[in-house]
Amino acid sequence: MSAERATSRRAFALGLVGLFASACQRPPRARGEVAFWFSYGGNNRKVLLDLVERFHREQSAVRVVPTFQGDYFEGLVKLRTGLFVGAVPTITHVVGEVVPYLARAGVLEDLDGVGDDVIADLEPALSQRGTFDGGEREPLVALPFNRSTPIAFFNGAIFRELGLAAPTTWLELREVARRGRRDGAATRWGFECPIDWWFWTALVGQAGGVLVRDGRITLGGEAGVRAVELWQSMVHDDRTMRPPPGRDFNAWEAANGDFLAGRAAMIWTSTAFVKYLEDNASFPVGAAPLPGDVARAVPTGGTFFVMPRGLPDEERRAGLVFLRWMMQPRQASEWARRTGYMPVSRAGRADLETSGFFDAHPNFRVAMDQLSVAARWPWSEELFRVQREAVQPRLEAAVAQRRDARVVLDEALRVAEGP
Amino acid sequence: MSLRPTRVHHPYAMLAPTLAVLGVFFLLPLGLALHQSFYSWDLLTPPEPVGFANYRALWASGELLETAWRTLVYSVMVVVSSTSLGLALALLLDREGRFFAFVRGAVFSAYVVSWVAVALLWLWLLDPQAGLVARIVAALRLPSIDWLGDPRFVLATLAGVTVWKITGYAMVIFLAGLQDVPRAVLEAAALDGAGAWQRFRRITWPLLRPTAAFVGTTSLILSFQSFDIVRVMTQGGPVRASSIFVYAIYEQVFVNLRVGRASAITVVFFVLLVGLTALQLWAWRRGARGKVAT
Repeated sequence: MSAERATSRRAFALGLVGLFASACQRPPRARGEVAFWFSYGGNNRKVLLDLVERFHREQSAVRVVPTFQGDYFEGLVKLRTGLFVGAVPTITHVVGEVVPYLARAGVLEDLDGVGDDVIADLEPALSQRGTFDGGEREPLVALPFNRSTPIAFFNGAIFRELGLAAPTTWLELREVARRGRRDGAATRWGFECPIDWWFWTALVGQAGGVLVRDGRITLGGEAGVRAVELWQSMVHDDRTMRPPPGRDFNAWEAANGDFLAGRAAMIWTSTAFVKYLEDNASFPVGAAPLPGDVARAVPTGGTFFVMPRGLPDEERRAGLVFLRWMMQPRQASEWARRTGYMPVSRAGRADLETSGFFDAHPNFRVAMDQLSVAARWPWSEELFRVQREAVQPRLEAAVAQRRDARVVLDEALRVAEGP
Repeated sequence: MSLRPTRVHHPYAMLAPTLAVLGVFFLLPLGLALHQSFYSWDLLTPPEPVGFANYRALWASGELLETAWRTLVYSVMVVVSSTSLGLALALLLDREGRFFAFVRGAVFSAYVVSWVAVALLWLWLLDPQAGLVARIVAALRLPSIDWLGDPRFVLATLAGVTVWKITGYAMVIFLAGLQDVPRAVLEAAALDGAGAWQRFRRITWPLLRPTAAFVGTTSLILSFQSFDIVRVMTQGGPVRASSIFVYAIYEQVFVNLRVGRASAITVVFFVLLVGLTALQLWAWRRGARGKVAT
């Protein structure tokens, strides 16, 4: 009797352990199913889901299950946690700055299987090999998806009324912002730009600096300081620029909101918002390249498709089928036409040119034209940490509290170089 | 019937489920956090032992002290305001009638709304340009304040929103406590000529002290656990002025990819909470002894 009881107890304990283990494992996916984690809301989400729907109409072997995972950084949190516990999607998309870190951690699958023809057709400046300095020497682990550059948007009605033109230099930027500001019951700001690493990087390049020189992090040196000082002057001396509240996407949304409400004459944001701003503004929206200082320069932004390493073969192949389809000229041009992101396929871009789309919608062309001055990111596993831990939190302090730009960037450099 | 256990292991068997839950969900994570605080780890690559480097880095950057100070300031504002407002509202609304029932319900309703909804509502109300608060301030010709964008005001603003949400809870607990205050004693004191303030000070407050201790403790725990409101309304900014403990832990592990530093903050947070709880218990027992002695 006692032996029987012991056996049943042991069986019960083993059952519990089995139950716990199975609960921790990734749920098995159906044959041909592709779990796709994405980070879009609003119009971009609708366009993406429309594309997935069309993919399903055109074939039946692969079924994509898209799941919204919050903004880019929330999505990244979930990806890292998923990688740790082994519950990963088939495909997701991540910001460019984190690709080298994930690649060095060995958690990304090679994507060469997407096809040589697809890889050859990628817009060079937007591909892994063109985006990263050194990216061409690394295995292909990232395919461009929603790629962008920062551009300037201006309120056409205000600019026409004041006889303003889009600024082409920092001096003109300050002057246009000064003339665009209007005091009253509700202040209208001349200029608004999220105090964000991406825009700071643009300013650093325009001031003639680079973030990494000869493999060593410099944060732009004197150019980095001048970039911060430009913002400080516009916020505190000129009082023409409003740094939008919040961090990350919250600040970007605040800038868009102020622009659409007529509370900002000009903003800097991503080309990703061309369609959104044009559709929602009650005034004509103009777009222009960012101004220059000693040089013209912009970073590229947006995200890349990546696939976690170690997926079952069948799932990996299904994921590649979907990626291959997404990279085709028709999908690339539709995505660009309906959002404002840049087409990642050369043939897709040519289609937009020849069909007259860019002539009819000049705002969509601004980012593409800016690609000629796009700066490459260093292929450095530290890039993401430098961005998120060293620079981003200090930019806000430097501008809001007008801390000495040199001191702030020295501090950021120490953190960047630290363990 | 004897209460003595028939077998020596029976008490342990009875305690086992609670111990198991505590062990799995409290002691084990705490032990893991302590262990990981001595490592540099990003979840994806193998952890490297670094000794006390995480604690040293947090101390040297000032993050530890700044976060602890901000959390304490926020907690003091929340505990003092919610407890005193809850008590005041309970005293005002401890009356019969539909009107008072409606006001009690209205005040308590904020407590049942989710933190995210409350945060979004107040984000809209406090918008420095288009928000209702800004419009009222402008109509009164008072200087405008960027409640969430100015580092000087942001912590007090978050504390204010927290107080707005949880005061209804404090009020309900105080209302329950007031039901235990004998009306006959209050009436007798009134007949003896005691004024409202004297009746409150000599009769109501001494009898409400255990209730106040309970409200204070739960508010303290709640304020130390605040996360949603910070995440939605400020993301720790501006200039980290609203980065309190739980958000700082989240930021280290999920934004900066530093599990070791997040664990170090967790350990310090735990020690601080234990210290505060011990202090509170000591003060409460001391007060209780004093009360008995008088």
